[in-house]
Amino acid sequence: MFIKARVGINKTKIFIICGAISLWSCQESVRPEDTSLVFERPPHFPEPTYTFDNNPITQDGFDLGKKLFFDPLLSRDNSVSCNSCHQQARAFADSPLHPTSIGIENKFGIRNAPALGNLAFMDEFFWDGGVTHLDFVPINAIESDVEMGETLENVVAKLNDHKEYPHLFKKAFGVDEITSPYMLHALSQFTVMMVSASSRYDKYVLREGTLNEEELKGLALFEVKCSGCHSGELFTDFSYRNNGLNTSFEDKGRALISESNADLGKFRVPTLRNVELTAPYMHNARFETLEEVLDHYGGGMVDSPTLDPLFKDGQQVVGIPLTQIEKQQIIAFIRTLTDEAFISDPKFMNQ
Amino acid sequence: MKQLMLLAFAMPMLLTLLSCNEGGELTPEEVGTFQIYFDNKVGTSDITLEEAGSTSYDFETTGGEKFNISSLGYYVSKISLSGPNGEIYQDEVLVNASDAKGYYHVIEGTSVSQNILLENVPAGTYDQATFTIGVAEEGVQEGALGGVLDPANGGWFWNWNAGYIAMIIEGNALNSGQEYVDWGNGSETLAKTFSFHIGGWKNVPDNENFVNNVRTITVDFGTTVSVGEGLSPLAHVVVDILKMLEGASVDFSTTYSVHSPKGGKVFADQLDQVFSVHHVHQSTSGH
Ligand code: HEC
Ligand code: HEC
Repeated sequence: MFIKARVGINKTKIFIICGAISLWSCQESVRPEDTSLVFERPPHFPEPTYTFDNNPITQDGFDLGKKLFFDPLLSRDNSVSCNSCHQQARAFADSPLHPTSIGIENKFGIRNAPALGNLAFMDEFFWDGGVTHLDFVPINAIESDVEMGETLENVVAKLNDHKEYPHLFKKAFGVDEITSPYMLHALSQFTVMMVSASSRYDKYVLREGTLNEEELKGLALFEVKCSGCHSGELFTDFSYRNNGLNTSFEDKGRALISESNADLGKFRVPTLRNVELTAPYMHNARFETLEEVLDHYGGGMVDSPTLDPLFKDGQQVVGIPLTQIEKQQIIAFIRTLTDEAFISDPKFMNQ
Repeated sequence: MKQLMLLAFAMPMLLTLLSCNEGGELTPEEVGTFQIYFDNKVGTSDITLEEAGSTSYDFETTGGEKFNISSLGYYVSKISLSGPNGEIYQDEVLVNASDAKGYYHVIEGTSVSQNILLENVPAGTYDQATFTIGVAEEGVQEGALGGVLDPANGGWFWNWNAGYIAMIIEGNALNSGQEYVDWGNGSETLAKTFSFHIGGWKNVPDNENFVNNVRTITVDFGTTVSVGEGLSPLAHVVVDILKMLEGASVDFSTTYSVHSPKGGKVFADQLDQVFSVHHVHQSTSGH
């Protein structure tokens, strides 16, 4: 149903098509091309940005990445795994019990762990966009004092001393010694495959399903009121904006990266896919429900020099006024972005 | 040695003669090696690395800032050589999870890292070298890489604002405004230290907030050297840290902790003054 990615993977694809027959006959002599797992770009999605050329997906690499994702060995005191903060049932966001994430020794992070999904299509990661390649994301989690509190070097040493990992890295990458780039590649193979594109909305877009009247009204409203920022099939334009949560900025947001006051309190426009499952909301976990979010857009915004101009009329903060019915319609639409197949896909389960 | 010196003078002439005569005496297949030696100095003084926190101040700027150096290094990449007759050599850059060929991590105190041997250099005469200090966008955006770019194996990497640190200078300064900080888990910052981490690689069109501190530098040999079979010339590059600190008019009382692209810019802007060819040898038997 989905067409395959044009990046990197297409080599594999051509190989499969052209060489399928010969491949079967000489499987023992050549190391067989791994065909069991293919990154597929949903037809309505943009081109992926991930560097598949450097790190082609294989079943062994993916399985290894999954094992690492669920392994608390990655943290200093063996208490926290990636999965502690990124849970499949929540579209890989954190448990609502942890508004901002909780790492080793129960230390509190300052930011709300985002949902993971469609990472292959993103140019920048984190609320402030400080990380520009998916491979580099785990280094931050592993080495953050408030997340896993470990050093990359030590994780690599622990993996090399482990009874299973050396064999698994050898199988996935053909290496005798585990080094950090291979570990990061394995994790990326797992996370990059997290494509969420099977929601009811997607079925509607691909003409495989329908939305009800309320949802369609919500969609129409959304296009007028929200798609200035939550645009495209990923429901974000990946820009950094201030949507009026604060007047002072302990967490500088994008300004941490750009070192410019013009970016104070700006955070990446998040995707809204699966957002029904990822409460609480915003970088600082300010809101518990989607109703609260829309109340905020409707009249709860506070002004500051970097508040997005879309929310202002001259000097006046106007936000996005919505009637009660409009709010319900928008929320009904947002719920169609929930991807049940994604959150119950056994591929991503620890088993 | 004398013979070698003689050879050093005679060879270029010989080679030019040969190439003038026939135009084909040196086949393009002919290759040799070329060595670049990075000699880090403060003014004319050699550097002896001090322990972090040491108060023996080995150096002084003309502005009267007393300091020492405890750690110094930089990434060199995309090395090329060129010559007056159109000779061009480009060092191969090949990166993946196992290696980062063409990227060099020069670290003071580790002499092997300071000598870069270029192989398969086409025979000919050369009078210029060009190289990049730092890891540019195309390197960063390849994702996780091995070799000298592996952050778990000595690679210099910023996590929070992902990218490689082009250059690090650390030491103690008499006037440093740095106070003692205990970061917990056994990590601390000692009083009177300074730490300049120069990084930043982003080019964002029309947005001067993003500072790209990766610099490409061309150094002139001031003469020509010949590469060919049995010839292995060397360029002795002096890296003068004093030029960097003085060029940036560093005042350690206010500038002692630089860990962001904007803070590093004033230092990166000095780099083309900091690197220069002191001399070249036609043979590599000495520095
Ligand atoms: C202690 C909780 C915690 C742990 C453990 C953790 N993360 Fe995260 N993760 C977060 C938070 C919080 C953010 C957002 C950080 C920010 O924006 O500064 C995040 C962001 C991310 C992102 C970027 C998502 C985006 O949309 O930009 C990815 C990918 C990710 N984490 C993967 C991982 C992987 C892989 C691991 C294991 C190596 C891991 N995380 C471990 C809390 C955690
Ligand atoms: C001017 C740009 C802009 C517009 C218009 C906009 N948003 Fe947002 N939205 C943002 C930004 C930026 C954030 C993240 C802010 C933060 O965390 O600091 C956000 C966050 C959210 C979140 C929280 C998501 C999460 O994972 O925490 C929801 C839900 C949301 N917006 C829904 C909407 C809806 C519905 C509309 C239209 C009624 C809308 N937004 C209009 C910029 C915008």
